[in-house]
Amino acid sequence: MAQIEIRNLHKSFKDDNILKGVSLGIDKGEIVTLFGPSGTGKTVLLRLIAGIYPPDAGTIGLRGRDAAGSPPDKRGIGMAFQNFALFPHMTARDNIASALTARKTKPGEIACKVEAVAQLLKIGHVLGHTPRELSNGQKQRTALARALVADPDILLLDDPLRNVDAKLRYEMRLELPALLKRAGSTVVYVTQDFKEAMALGDRVAVLLDGRIAQCDTPSRIYAEPASVGVARLFGDPTLNLVEVEPRMVDNAAEIQVGGATIRLPAGYAATAGGSYLLGLRPESLRLIDGPAPGAIAVDLVAVTPLNEKSVLLVTMQGGEELLASEAGERDVPRRTGPGHLAPDLDAVLLFERSSGRRFIPAESGGGGL
Amino acid sequence: MSASLSLRGVDKVYYPRGRSAVHAVKALSMDVEHGEIVALLGSSGCGKTSTLRMVAGFEDVSAGAIALADRRVERLAPAARNVAMAFEGYSLYPPLTVRENIAFALKRGRLSAGDVARRVQEVAALVEIESILDRYPNSISGGQQQRASLARALVRDAALYVLDEPMGQLEPQLRAVLRGRLKRLLKDRAMTSIFVTHDQTEANALADRIAVMEGGVLQQFAGQHELKERPANLYVATFIGEPPMNVFDASVVRDGDRTSFELDNGPSFGFGDNELGPEVRQAIGNRRKVVIGVRPHHVVLGNGCGETARIVSNQWLGDQSHVAMAVAGKLLVAVSHVRVRAAIGDTVPYGVRAQHLHIFDPDTTAALAHGARAA
Repeated sequence: MAQIEIRNLHKSFKDDNILKGVSLGIDKGEIVTLFGPSGTGKTVLLRLIAGIYPPDAGTIGLRGRDAAGSPPDKRGIGMAFQNFALFPHMTARDNIASALTARKTKPGEIACKVEAVAQLLKIGHVLGHTPRELSNGQKQRTALARALVADPDILLLDDPLRNVDAKLRYEMRLELPALLKRAGSTVVYVTQDFKEAMALGDRVAVLLDGRIAQCDTPSRIYAEPASVGVARLFGDPTLNLVEVEPRMVDNAAEIQVGGATIRLPAGYAATAGGSYLLGLRPESLRLIDGPAPGAIAVDLVAVTPLNEKSVLLVTMQGGEELLASEAGERDVPRRTGPGHLAPDLDAVLLFERSSGRRFIPAESGGGGL
Repeated sequence: MSASLSLRGVDKVYYPRGRSAVHAVKALSMDVEHGEIVALLGSSGCGKTSTLRMVAGFEDVSAGAIALADRRVERLAPAARNVAMAFEGYSLYPPLTVRENIAFALKRGRLSAGDVARRVQEVAALVEIESILDRYPNSISGGQQQRASLARALVRDAALYVLDEPMGQLEPQLRAVLRGRLKRLLKDRAMTSIFVTHDQTEANALADRIAVMEGGVLQQFAGQHELKERPANLYVATFIGEPPMNVFDASVVRDGDRTSFELDNGPSFGFGDNELGPEVRQAIGNRRKVVIGVRPHHVVLGNGCGETARIVSNQWLGDQSHVAMAVAGKLLVAVSHVRVRAAIGDTVPYGVRAQHLHIFDPDTTAALAHGARAA
């Protein structure tokens, strides 16, 4: 039985349909990152789970029981939201402890627990400060500490690293999963950053157009996105999309990309005759000197470094742009001009142009559909 | 060749009412060469925006000189400086369409109507706002306004292009493409540019050189490789890089022809004199304590490495693995472009090579050595 079981949830504000049938099951102890572009209703979904808003339709099950009608303070859920919401007149220590004092925990035990969680979140040295004296990052971690200290079995976190500076964000991104696992909580974690979503989640739930477009492990979301909409949200830079119309030639589907003929792997035979979007991840395109079968003739327009990679902006015949990326910043030729891009055919993605759904290639060696 | 933009001993002090003075920029001296793209990079409050506003003429200098093409400009009004700018607060004229706003910037030149139309069209295509050229600023999104404002600056012929967070509001997909195009344009036309950003990805992608600021002080002014491979001090080392450099306090132990760096409550990294050259040993001198650093991309994982550590986290981001290991009570982060298959709790071998070691003075935080060379 899932710890959180969301079925067909709907929520509108006036004429604005935010959630249009969200279904999602989350197991005990699992960390699910809720990810999507801004304005898709991630925070709304979190608030429905917390009981702050009632849903228009659909059900939320918590620990096997329907939560309908149960007020927020009876749901046993820990929360930390983006906008901190700390008590301004209380020190960080008292703010964190406030999650325990309401439960009649012994003072000595409270002090111990507050100290321990503060150490983990690296705010032990500012426990005596009031929120006004804390930086944004410290406020955010204080709010997070308050949510964690009570050992809630369900924890909802709304973009808790958003205002934290880059260096600390990297540290927290690496340390948070272990911290949350140690606490054993079931976690829903909202973020707008795909890297954070992939780094922190056991699974990533992609909220798109009011529905969960896909919920899967980070590596599957990246390598096997359900739709072009999902695929576009992951990758830095994001994937290239080229309109193609596969044709059957000598028992294999062939596509034309920027004047080059590319023979697709055997599993793609059934795409012949259809209209598709070819998705090419930048890191699956390799710049080579000479022409080669299946390599696209391009003009290298600019090379821009990006996080220990080099991003190559190229134009194909006809002027359409592609982005390729290579590991390392030093070894890439800096000169611009003509070259060829060889796509890694194992990493190719094809999306139906009408529906946006990914075409799932048949298993090689038979047995596929 | 003389510099295109030159700042000499520039200070900025604000006197907020009822509070003590804020020294936002301290004795800043830097030169921007003709055709060069320079980024001012730092966290909020580091003095980068004050600097940019002084260059543009929106703020007076408290002390010091600013020269543009060999002409002193620090007392001139913004319009008299021959500077094209795109600023967040420097908005589009609401009564004019986007097209008119961009064309207006060309008014004072002696261009034919046809030339103006062609140049507006070109720059609009570059930043992808062709479809909104006939709309009014109030009816377009923040991101579109930002691109229109950028187009208005780029369309002009000016001695200097001053850009404030030029892509701050754009969606990530567009940003990656625009960076490439913008860089190509600025380079092709040798447009001397200075821009502010808090995002090092942006700075790396566009700039020839990056001025890293903190506390109103210029920490280092160099190309991105230099900033990564030869950071001037601990601030730069732990600010630059995604993720930034791993740094550890270490005791220096000399034994025969070996130098070891012993981490407090952690492993000891030992190197023979054949690895750690004379220049580096000399830079360390008699110091008993140093700070050593290694970039995540340079931490070597796999068999044959000297040390082992327990994996605390292992995150695959689609094209790279970020692995954190427990070392000396802290995290040592390694980044690999090949997927690392190790579970949390596993003990894995890792190593640090002398050629990738950075050494800093713990008191001054200044760099002592990078790889085989003294700083």
